[in-house]
Amino acid sequence: MLDTLKLDEVVEFAENPEPRCPCVLLLDTSGSMQGERIEALNQGLLSLKDELVKNSLAARRVEVAVITFDTSITVVQDFITADQFNPPILTAQGLTTMGAGINKALDMIQERKSQYRNNGIAYYRPWVFMITDGEPQGELESVIEKASERLQGDEANKRVAFFTVGVENANMTRLNQIAVRTPLKLNGLNFIEMFVWLSASMSVVSHSQLDEQVALPPIGWGSV
Amino acid sequence: MNTFRQISQWRVVAASVCGTSHLKNKQLCQDAHDWQILPNNVLVIAVADGAGSASLGQVGAKIAVEAAIAHLAYQEISDEILAQDLLLSDLLTQTTLVARKSVIAEAAACNHEPHDLATTLIIMLATPFVVAVSQIGDGLAVAQDSTGGLSALTVPKCGEYINETTFLTAADALNTAQIKVWREKIVNIGVLTDGLQMLALNMIVGEPHKPFFLPLFAFVAQTEDKLIAQEELVKFLCSERISQRTDDDLTLVIAAFHH
Repeated sequence: MLDTLKLDEVVEFAENPEPRCPCVLLLDTSGSMQGERIEALNQGLLSLKDELVKNSLAARRVEVAVITFDTSITVVQDFITADQFNPPILTAQGLTTMGAGINKALDMIQERKSQYRNNGIAYYRPWVFMITDGEPQGELESVIEKASERLQGDEANKRVAFFTVGVENANMTRLNQIAVRTPLKLNGLNFIEMFVWLSASMSVVSHSQLDEQVALPPIGWGSV
Repeated sequence: MNTFRQISQWRVVAASVCGTSHLKNKQLCQDAHDWQILPNNVLVIAVADGAGSASLGQVGAKIAVEAAIAHLAYQEISDEILAQDLLLSDLLTQTTLVARKSVIAEAAACNHEPHDLATTLIIMLATPFVVAVSQIGDGLAVAQDSTGGLSALTVPKCGEYINETTFLTAADALNTAQIKVWREKIVNIGVLTDGLQMLALNMIVGEPHKPFFLPLFAFVAQTEDKLIAQEELVKFLCSERISQRTDDDLTLVIAAFHH
């Protein structure tokens, strides 16, 4: 009787949606990013996609969104799983409305979470990865202050993990005042290494089981 | 202890196996389970999942299940207790407290903080006519009645994020416990840790996935040789079909009662 009963063949599994691991890339496309910098950033985005799809679980679980901030805020890519992500080719122009960009990123995360909840999709703590070569410019000081306050509240309540990366001439002191986590300074234009790290980190997170505090890979592409 | 098992009409098969991610990292299995059949067809089961983030999660899990079963085995579980939901709930709460104390005492004895031994804990007490469960953290306990009704007695409880849950060692652990008493003619029960919950539960509606449980229940009901059955269950838990879907440690305890 037992010989004919192979559990492996008779037990069927529930089809639940994969848990999601949302990550917003909040990218400075102001005029100062023109030339080498924006090209290096575009290359970096390609490597992010390449790296994420190497890991089949991460490819299905990590959701990427891309927001740019210059004189205006543009959602270049709404949340999409890594396997469907087509990296955009960005161009640079205009001012640096960082406060509005931060608000947009936090809005999108809030909205995405409620979509997850409405569809019974489990999720990991969302990440925002902000990259800039400058500081807020072209916005009222009060807008930036409010965005910063909101960001600090969201970090304190674990609604988001917000990382800031400064490129070359970025005003690190100013960035440090805006974000909670210490901003990292990118070595040169080493975007590729940075995005490879981001991919590895998201992969670790998207594999983590319930309850695990994950240790992220060491950072070789920047410094505090 | 075999005396009870021979005259009992409960058939039980249980296994904990190490997940592929833990094998890769040379970690030990952090799941643990224990069970016993007490007089009068009272089946007690404890299942625990030691926290991956805790340095001694596997120790916490093992101590929690052993303390829980040892405590229940020494209680006189009278008809009066079995007849009253409140007394049954109290018994499980007491047992959870005992398990918690044992884990904290072990932490102190080996100079660790309680959270180093963090673990979830599910305790089930089942008779042919009632099943009671207490659960801290994630995992799942189900029961099937004689009419084929399959009920999730508990649901996985995690924080907002899927990689957060509550543990037995947390200060407010007892307040977060899910306790449920279900009075039906009980035919089957199942208890599992979070590694299997995505396969066993329809997460959107929060209901057990019947095509998952029914073949397992049919299997345990037909069990003649305990060792062969356990081998088969381990083989199933280690099968490629499962490891493609989950890389976590897995524990499954299933039982059938012949009325």
